[in-house]
Amino acid sequence: MSTTTQTAVPTRASSLASSTAFRTFATVFAIATPIIYVTCEMANWPLFTYHPGTDRLNLGWAPAVKDEGPAMYWYGWIATTLLGAGALGLLAVKLPESATRRIPLALVWIAPLAAVPILIYALRFFWRW
Amino acid sequence: MDAVYDYISVNTFWTILFIVHALLAVALLGALSHQAMSVLMRTRQAAGPAGFVTRFSSVHGASYAAAVCVLWIATFVFGAWIYTKYRIYIRIPLEQDGFWKTQGAFEMKEHLATIGLGLLPIYWYFWKNARNVDYDGARKWLTVTLAAMCWYMFLTGHIVNNVRGFGS
Repeated sequence: MSTTTQTAVPTRASSLASSTAFRTFATVFAIATPIIYVTCEMANWPLFTYHPGTDRLNLGWAPAVKDEGPAMYWYGWIATTLLGAGALGLLAVKLPESATRRIPLALVWIAPLAAVPILIYALRFFWRW
Repeated sequence: MDAVYDYISVNTFWTILFIVHALLAVALLGALSHQAMSVLMRTRQAAGPAGFVTRFSSVHGASYAAAVCVLWIATFVFGAWIYTKYRIYIRIPLEQDGFWKTQGAFEMKEHLATIGLGLLPIYWYFWKNARNVDYDGARKWLTVTLAAMCWYMFLTGHIVNNVRGFGS
């Protein structure tokens, strides 16, 4: 019985590591994450807004309420990004392998690096010299 | 949370969370630095003498992959948890004191942490297939990218803590 338990976990991990579908999902997820996140940040599209002063949540974007502290959008941007990138990843899995093989793997590190100057620009309010 | 506050003060609770976040970050930084050096210094590793740099980079990168993923997620979760307190008790005083660039650098840190989160599945996949030469280039530069992000986040967190951390 213990032998079965010991062999089950590595098999699952190795099957995921050899899965073409997982590679496609992970590749598209990695490329989509910086693109969607930058879009969410610049367009301010949080899935929800959190008000830490009152522990209140609003669906979508909501302004800070007077005398109730700030509103936080970062958690909402993360939710939008992960759901969006996850959905695109799942859609990509449905594509034929001949198409997904053509996705350049270098984009998984080029896309996040390309996001950096855009995010620096998006934060221009803070760069006061 | 009230049950916890029966035993420790609110300040102690959040201090513990912050220290755990910082310790996880140290472990993540170490793991990613070793791994990034191992992919960057591969040629010198074979040719050069066994000095400090060679020894630092002479690690089996693949064995770090799962640990890096777990550490990134755990550090992220603790960071996201204490972020609520940062927003009220740290950022507002920083705004009042005019530390705009410090805030901007911290905003960038949160952006990079999220983007890094999205890179973890393919990072894990590449390292689980470390013998597949088709992934060598992407694996190398993705690892270096994650390591650079981690260094930026670590130093920025350190600076923010220096500006307004414990005792301020």
